[in-house]
Amino acid sequence: MATDARLRIYFTGVGGQGTLTATNLLAKTALMTGLDVVAGEVHGMAQRGGVVESVLLLGGLRSPKLDLNEADLLLGFEPLETLRGLPYLAPNGVVISSSNQLPPLSVSLGAANYPDLETIKANVNKVARKAFFLPARELGVQAGSIQSGNTVLIACACACGILPFDIETLKKGINTFLAPKLQPANLKALDLAKEYLQKEYSK
Amino acid sequence: MSKHPLLSEKAGEIQLLLGNEAIVRGALEAGVQMVTCYPGTPSSEVVDTFKRIQAPERYRMEYSINEKVAMEVACGAALGGAMSLVTMKHVGLNVAADPLFTTAYTGLPGGLVVLSADDPGCHSSQNEQDNRGYARIAHLPCFEPAQAKEAYAMTKAAFALARELEQPIMLRTTTRISHVRGPVTFGELPQKTSLVPFQKNPQRFVPLPAVARKRHVAVEEAMEKARLVAEKSPFNIEKNQPTPVEFGIVTSGVARNYLFDALISQGLEDKVDIFELGMTWPLPTERLANFLTRHKNVLVLEEGDAYLEHDLRALAQEKGLNVQISGKDATLTDLGEYSHRLVAKRLARWLGTPEPKEPENLNIQELPNRPPNLCPGCSHRSVYYAARKVFGDSVVYSSDIGCYTLGVVPPMRAADFLFCMGSSISGGSGLAAMGQKVVSFIGDSTFFHSGLTGLANAVFNKHNLLLVILDNGTTAMTGHQPNPGMLQESLGDNCVHLDLEAIVKSFGVTDLQTINAYNVRSLIKAFTEFKDKDGVRVIIAKQPCVLYAKRQLRKVQPNVAVVISQGEETLTCLKELACPAFYRNGDDVAVDPSLCAGCMVCLQIAPKSFKAVKREEVKS
Repeated sequence: MATDARLRIYFTGVGGQGTLTATNLLAKTALMTGLDVVAGEVHGMAQRGGVVESVLLLGGLRSPKLDLNEADLLLGFEPLETLRGLPYLAPNGVVISSSNQLPPLSVSLGAANYPDLETIKANVNKVARKAFFLPARELGVQAGSIQSGNTVLIACACACGILPFDIETLKKGINTFLAPKLQPANLKALDLAKEYLQKEYSK
Repeated sequence: MSKHPLLSEKAGEIQLLLGNEAIVRGALEAGVQMVTCYPGTPSSEVVDTFKRIQAPERYRMEYSINEKVAMEVACGAALGGAMSLVTMKHVGLNVAADPLFTTAYTGLPGGLVVLSADDPGCHSSQNEQDNRGYARIAHLPCFEPAQAKEAYAMTKAAFALARELEQPIMLRTTTRISHVRGPVTFGELPQKTSLVPFQKNPQRFVPLPAVARKRHVAVEEAMEKARLVAEKSPFNIEKNQPTPVEFGIVTSGVARNYLFDALISQGLEDKVDIFELGMTWPLPTERLANFLTRHKNVLVLEEGDAYLEHDLRALAQEKGLNVQISGKDATLTDLGEYSHRLVAKRLARWLGTPEPKEPENLNIQELPNRPPNLCPGCSHRSVYYAARKVFGDSVVYSSDIGCYTLGVVPPMRAADFLFCMGSSISGGSGLAAMGQKVVSFIGDSTFFHSGLTGLANAVFNKHNLLLVILDNGTTAMTGHQPNPGMLQESLGDNCVHLDLEAIVKSFGVTDLQTINAYNVRSLIKAFTEFKDKDGVRVIIAKQPCVLYAKRQLRKVQPNVAVVISQGEETLTCLKELACPAFYRNGDDVAVDPSLCAGCMVCLQIAPKSFKAVKREEVKS
């Protein structure tokens, strides 16, 4: 696919997951490859367990607020948030989502139901050109830290060819921009993402 | 400790910076010597970054008690010859407006830049006021960046102008500027800047009426000088087509970004002339009049209020120009934020070109919401629980600004009204005077910000009020900035701890109790004791913010709660305490040990249902 085009990426997750750190890592890596980068985030009240969204624009776009139907790539750090964010996906966009759930309080308290994963996948597959669901949190734990589960998702984005740089570039980004003590888990997460894609999505 | 990347001396280096970080670099390159603030989203990262950088040889900085104080300290420093920066969110400028209006008259030789970070869309604010209005009424030249690299460059330019004109300058951002990252190319980092020597001059700096009348003339003269700067400013850019066109757009702030993308997506790049304003006050009226003269139709694109539109309409009238000016309409209103699609749609309607496609409706089922909530182990939850046990709905809960505003969320419902910082006390006093029973909640930082005067007034004027100071020892909502209530060991050598209890006592409050906020029984006892009393009664509910305790104080409670017996008591606790660490497991209630902060409030409420277990003994 064309990799020099302008690209809008929408990140969505839950406060405390580290979605902003992941956005920042991907943004810095993109800048390192010489791409024009704009990365937007909203801080503040949203971080107390609420939904956290951010945006990454590559290739010379400037609008930091995404409209519905605009994201070429949706990175969902939590499946319910993937579904909630789905209207932001452009027709024929790509979805990469964690399949590990973090139920909101209303669900934990039994006042609301969490949609089941198959329903979420069906909704996503109806509109997405391609969709990947990975147990990011589990793979993160396996790699050495829950937070590195975020790297699983961005590694998947690099591996599936939608980004204008590959997974080796991301590896370089991890080595350049993450604190040394965080690097091993994140590099491991990247390998686990590759393995998982190979196993589940290589057909 | 290694040097912070923002102190890099490599001119030409490119870093990916948040708009707020770009402001810091711009200020450092300008030679900023004094930084003051009161934290508030979306402005907080500016001072937090200055704090992290730790370059006391370059600048002095402080988290001031409130925005008015921050403004006055910065003005004083600028009077003392320092290039000074004061930062705040938009509503903070309301608090700080008093000194600002008058220092625009006296001028400030060192140079003062005022950052107003506005929040259209109310991402984390109680209103979406457009502070470009302050630039107009307070006589402040104003810069409005649209990208990180402009935030950097305009900060530098603002300081240069502040020192040249000796006038306070406004730097106005919005959330989508302050919190958007982009590449910034660094310039030279100067060595230490020198102070402009202070000289006494009461005929300028003491605005008695006779002086003030003269200074009003001076500020008008300074604004005319600023207008001449705006006429030539590299931040006011005209992008004209090679041959004359009928349509021209005048735009400023974040709207410029949406326009940039909309012209591309709609294929309109060669159809219109554009006048982008970066230095937005005073307006470069000569150039704008010329632009209006050259176009039959002019569209004004500005997020927020229609300031620019109204100014251009007035300018056209004044110059007798035959130009059709359009601006706000049903698509682009003065509400909330603009976006790429909204601007594209407005352009299409204005130009008569095909409108962009409406988004498809995916018909997704209604999803469970994820509203922000008080954290597991938050010390406010137990206080609200106890208050609700004692008062139920028999009182009006007067809330204030901070995490604890989230007390409004059911089942606590511990917020019935709120005006602004500090209003829990004074607004509550007024409401109580009309016969309501009032319980007010205020955080420690907000109390120091603007609760002190309200409490003094409540005692002085014999108001009836039960006040709870939720003392979590930090400024939690905005990211744990210091305040005078913070422990001395956390404050370090540059600040002095102030004792809340001693302050409240010194105001003459005799009904005063300080209670561990995790102790439900003591809270209920105190509420009950104070319930039927008159006058000002104060409870200080003390317990560090659970995030602050974990991250900064490195204190983690050794135990977590586990459910040992299911039943009515367990379910009632789940329903009434609604701790986010609880979850339903079929018909049972369980505690997620990875979320449980170990506050043990549930154990006190439902002793048969829960017990404490060593954290290590429970598997996540």
